[in-house]
Formats: sequence, C-alpha cells, structure tokens
Amino acid sequence: MKKESTKYYPLIPVFAAYLVLFLIGRNVPGMWQLVAMLLFYCALGQAFNIFLGMTGYVDFGYVAFMGVGTYGMALAITKLAHIEGLGIAIIIIGFVMALFMATLLSLAVGAVALRLRGAYFAIATIGVNEGLRFFIEGARIWNGSEGLIFTAQLNQILGRETASTLMTFWADIMVLIIAVSAAFITLYYIRSKIGYALTALREDEDAAKVMGINVTKYKIIAFVTSACFAGLLGAASWALKTPYVFPPEVFEIHYTIEAIIIVLLGGSGTLLGPVVGGLIYGISKYYLSIFIPGFQLLIFAPIIIIIIVLFPEGVVGMLKNRFKDSALAQFII
Amino acid sequence: MSLLILENVTKRFGGLVAVDQVSLEIKHGEFVGIVGPNGSGKTTLFNVINGVFFPEEGRVIFEGLDITTLPPYKRAPLGIGRTFQIPRPFASATVRENVAVGAMFGTLSGKVNVDESLEIADQTIERVGLKEHRNKQAGTLTPVEKKLMEIARALAMKPKLLLMDEAMAGMHPNDIDQMVAFIKQVAEEDKIAIVAMVEHIMRAVVGMAEKVIVLHQGAKLVDAPTKEALEDPKVVEVYLGRPSEK
Ligand SMILES: Nc1ncnc2c1ncn2[C@@H]1O[C@H](COP(=O)(O)OP(=O)(O)OP(=O)(O)O)[C@@H](O)[C@H]1O
Ligand SMILES: [Mg+2]
Repeated sequence: MKKESTKYYPLIPVFAAYLVLFLIGRNVPGMWQLVAMLLFYCALGQAFNIFLGMTGYVDFGYVAFMGVGTYGMALAITKLAHIEGLGIAIIIIGFVMALFMATLLSLAVGAVALRLRGAYFAIATIGVNEGLRFFIEGARIWNGSEGLIFTAQLNQILGRETASTLMTFWADIMVLIIAVSAAFITLYYIRSKIGYALTALREDEDAAKVMGINVTKYKIIAFVTSACFAGLLGAASWALKTPYVFPPEVFEIHYTIEAIIIVLLGGSGTLLGPVVGGLIYGISKYYLSIFIPGFQLLIFAPIIIIIIVLFPEGVVGMLKNRFKDSALAQFII
Repeated sequence: MSLLILENVTKRFGGLVAVDQVSLEIKHGEFVGIVGPNGSGKTTLFNVINGVFFPEEGRVIFEGLDITTLPPYKRAPLGIGRTFQIPRPFASATVRENVAVGAMFGTLSGKVNVDESLEIADQTIERVGLKEHRNKQAGTLTPVEKKLMEIARALAMKPKLLLMDEAMAGMHPNDIDQMVAFIKQVAEEDKIAIVAMVEHIMRAVVGMAEKVIVLHQGAKLVDAPTKEALEDPKVVEVYLGRPSEK
C-alpha cells in the first residue's frame, strides 16, 4: 500500500517547473512576457489534457469554452461596473460567471456530442466555436461583432494603478493558479475511480461498458472539468490581460490546435506531459518567431511531426516507460 | 429461481437473423457449454445477454429481473461478467489496473474503492497465475496471457454468471487441460454459473460442461446434458459435419 505522502510525489516536477518559471520571470529582466506566455500554454495543455488526454476524444471546438469564459468576465465587469464599492470582488464574480457559462455550454455540447464516438464526436465539435461566434455576431447579443471593451470600467473600479498591475502581473499569476489547480485535479482524477474509468473507456469503450462503467457519466465529468478550466483560463488570460473581447479573436480555432499539439507533444493523459508540451511548444514558438519571423511554421511543423513520430506517447510517455522500474517512476506520471 | 432465462430471443442485423427465437435457462452454479459452427450466433447471443445489443424480440431475465433493455453497465454489477472472443484488454493500463477496474465497477455494491480494488486485483491475478506480469501493460501480454487477464478481470467483478467467449481459442492442448481444470475449480469455489463457448467441442466440453447448447444458424438445435448432446445425430451432422467416430 502506498504511503499518503508519496501519492503527491508526481506533483513535485510539475510544481518545480512552475516555480522555476516564476523565479526566472521575476528575476531576469524582460522575461516576464515569455514566462507569462509559457504559463498560458502549460495551463492550456493541462486543462485540455483532462478531456483529450484522459478520454482520447478530440474536441475541435474546445476554444469555445475559453471564449465564453472570457465573455463571463467581460460581462461581469461591464454590467456590474456601476455598483459602488465592489472593488476586487468583481473579479471573483467574473470568474464565477466564467465557470457558470463554461459549465452550461459544456453540458449542452456534451449532452449531444458525447453520444457520438471518436471521429464523429470530433466532427460534431468542429462547428461549435464558429457557430457560437456567428450566433453572438448575428443575434447581436453581448454587443455583437463590436465586442466588449472594458478598460475604462476596470480603471474606474480598481483604480488605474491596480488595474494596470492586474493586467501585466496578477492576471498571469491567476493563470499560474489555474495551472496548479488543474494539476491537482488531474492527479486526483488519475488516482481515483474517475481515472480508472477514463483509461478504460479511452482504450475500449465497449469493453468498459461491459465491465460496469457508465461511460457517458465519466466522459461528461472529464468534459465539464476540462471546460471549466478553459473558461477560467479565458477569463484570466484573455479578459483580464487585455480588457476587451471580440468574437473572432476568442473563438479562433488555432488555440484548439495549439492545445492538441501541446497535449500530444508532452504525453496525453499524463500529469507532467502538458507542462513539458507547453514549454517545448511555447519556447520554440517564441524563439522561432524572433529568429526567423514569418518562416517559423516551416521549421515548427516538421519539428512537431518528428517529436510525435519519435515519441508516439509524447515526451513524458517516453520517460515514463524509460524509468518504469527506477526510483524516478514515482515522480513521473 | 433460475439465474438466467432467455425467452424467444431474436436479434437481427438487417435481413440477417443472427439469433433466432432462442429460449434457454441457466441455473445458479451451472456449467454450460455453447457450441456451434462459425457464424451460428454464439457471440451475438452473449452480446444480447450482457446488453451490448438489445434483441428485437423476446426477453432476457436475470434472477427474475427483466433486463432486456438494461444498458450493459447496469447489468455488470448485477453479476454478469464476460470475456471476449478476441481479447480486449485496456492496453495501456497494467494488468493490475485492468483487473482492478473489474472490482471497482463490476461489483454489486459499487462501493469498492481504489485501494480495495487493487487488493482484490492482486488476489485474483495470483489466482490465474499472472502474478509476475501484474505491472506489465496489458497490451504487451501474449494472447493466452490476455485471456487469463480477462478471466481475472471478470472474476474480480464477483459475477454470478460468467460468459466466456472462445475461452480456449489459440491454446496449446496442455494449456487447455489446465484451463479447463482452473475454470472448473473457480466455478465450484465461487459458485459461478459459467457459460463457455468452446471451439474444441469434445475435449473441453466433455471436460467441464454439465449441459451443452448447440446453435445452428442462430437457432437452438440441441439443449441437453453433455453426453446426450454429443451423441445427438443432429449435432454430429451439423456441428462436426462428418459421421460420428463412435
Ligand atoms: N455487429 C454486427 N453487425 C452485423 N452482423 C453481425 C454483427 N455481429 C455478428 N453479425 C453476424 O451475425 C451472425 C452471427 O455472428 P456471431 O459473431 O454471433 O457468430 P459466432 O457463432 O460467434 O461465430 P464465430 O464462431 O465465428 O465466433 C454472423 O453472420 C455475423 O456475420
Ligand atoms: Mg463468436
């Protein structure tokens, strides 16, 4: 039987990576922007991994949850700005809104699409983000295609000073907190019945059913959890860092693609994988766009393909197998 | 009360009648062999019993409960376990984790936690003789080991009825004898009714089954005590396709 404390060992490399990032960002001048971007990609990977990695289902409309999360925060701030004395509480309300909207959307999408298997699910979700974008623009809800801009409200509620540190520093810290929470939840899921059910259904859904697993229930748990983290991430990283929201920007499919790449690169379904994937992806993207601006994709795409061909289970999947019988095994899952 | 009753069960795939008006009865602890040529509907019958398919006609009754349209995940905890014709391990998970899944989700109370399940898994794995493979990924096992793993996974569910599809396929004759002995022992110790589909009709069925059901083109041809069934001229003709050696 495992001792209680060793259960948390796999979090050590994850948190160590975040700590190092944070320290570099705070202490090396000019690095915070890169660090913030890396934190974002790690958090994105960890959030999406809970669904993509653990169930093996690909949701091409995933960015929609970040989109509605961004709107959740934006709506809270724009609608409640006139209330006196809310102060920082408005941010909390914003996060609650983001959670609420991501949950609602994921339940709606999940109830329909999670009945479908594999490729059919993937195809069914492709339109979700675009559909939502056109709905917001077409129906002119939430200010339609003009979007919501709320810099003024933030300044008014929090004061110019606080609002500015919120955008340039605290929003990134919130992303870090989201990433850390996602890591906790991932480990908890992996270690609990949920993780066993998800592994079983990812490997063979019909066999899983026959073993007594209510596969729909567990897929929905993973889907909603993953969506909630995406919603929070949208609220923190998009709404608070840049206090405006335009439909075409927050429903852009390429973030979904980035999330998929990060999860596959790092090792899908693993705890450490999305962090490794996020770092590799973020760092390569950043430096390639500095050194060979315009051509980064030309180099980048083959690199990604090579890594995925060399390590079909991702970098962490490979490490996990390599160190299976060593003392390191308990740190890498 | 009978453990399992099928009443005039029919399952069609388009125009094809895969299971044709089959009625049968399995008692608690009984050991039944099902035989039939390829495509005679054996696997489909299993799928109807454990809910992978719902029949177009007829009823499936388990311990007095009509489960005809109950989804498979609700049937498993009632006590229906199963192995597959072609093994279907959860490939990336270890043998231990595979078997633990059976204990975790397939038991009636549904209250078995992860640690308890892993403990049950260890005991069950030892029983089927896979102890040294317990931390291997199930996908890396040999076909025979996969079969054993599936049996362990089903046993961890503490079933009342164990459906074994092609339990001995691909096995060496020596292994078959061992397997037969093992399954018989398990059935007696755990008081499980076993319905096994067996390909080596003579050897395996004579070795263990009290009763034999013969399917032919989806319909039940014979349902009789083993000895009687094997001597039935209809069986000899249809299943063996050649005159009896006796
Ligand atoms: N999912 C399915 N869709 C369509 N037809 C099917 C399906 N499953 C089985 N069949 C057909 O139903 C008939 C019975 O098949 P089944 O697999 O039950 O036979 P079996 O007795 O198990 O054969 P075998 O000895 O080859 O395992 C066959 O004609 C088969 O082609
Ligand atoms: Mg078959």
